Amino acid sequence: MSVTVEDVRLRIAELLRVSEERVTLATVLTDLVVESFRLVEMAIELQEEYDVLLGQADLSVLKTVGDLAQLVQSRVVPS
Amino acid sequence: MSLSDDELFILSYYRTSEINGSLFFGRLARALKPGPIQHDLTKHFADEAQHAWYWSSCIDRLGGRPIKLDSGYQDQYLEAVGLPLNLMEVLAITLVFEQRVIHQYSRHLALPDLDPDIANTFGLIMEDEKWHLHWVRQALVGMEDQFGKEHIKATLDRNRAADREIYAKTLAEYDERLSFLFDKHEKGR
Repeated sequence: MSVTVEDVRLRIAELLRVSEERVTLATVLTDLVVESFRLVEMAIELQEEYDVLLGQADLSVLKTVGDLAQLVQSRVVPS
Repeated sequence: MSLSDDELFILSYYRTSEINGSLFFGRLARALKPGPIQHDLTKHFADEAQHAWYWSSCIDRLGGRPIKLDSGYQDQYLEAVGLPLNLMEVLAITLVFEQRVIHQYSRHLALPDLDPDIANTFGLIMEDEKWHLHWVRQALVGMEDQFGKEHIKATLDRNRAADREIYAKTLAEYDERLSFLFDKHEKGR
């Protein structure tokens, strides 16, 4: 599978049911949701879809949509 | 109404936590690929919704109306330990939380002169909670190859430490409301 950061950004927007315009790479993740549990759900869904693993050890580098999209993209194993 | 204001509050608190758990696990069950964890998580969230209904019914039968509360116990976990980002971390926090629920419910159930309706409600819920602990424990054992037994243990230990802190904080915050539950020798255990 070939995945771009843009692919992941768009998927994040879909999963959070937020317009693509609101989900820029600079958008802070916690600004997109009312409840933190929603971010957990979204993270699990991304891992299931892209077959990657994230963890709490990554939290220190995960602030923006760009951070998350780049991390997911970097861990996708090309098919 | 045969419930005191404090009893109504605590039962409403339990109800809110069951609802929050159900909603969260339901969404996770929807996100997961088919398999044993998706299967058991589906039952888990259905149970939590049923528990919320049990509390709603109990409060209703005792002449009260559930108090609307904005947050439950689980919300404090995220603040204390950080967001769980993968399924192992979610199950680790779940195991610790369910153990806390059983602990709290057991203490409440042990109160002398507890209304039989409340006691029966605890009985119904606790049966399910035993199975919740069992399947989550088994699922974590099943993840040892992927995450490492020591890493899972460390995650559980971190969550347990946070849980002790949150429980003490919750008791202190609701000291007056919960004082009917605990005598002065037990508080903070």
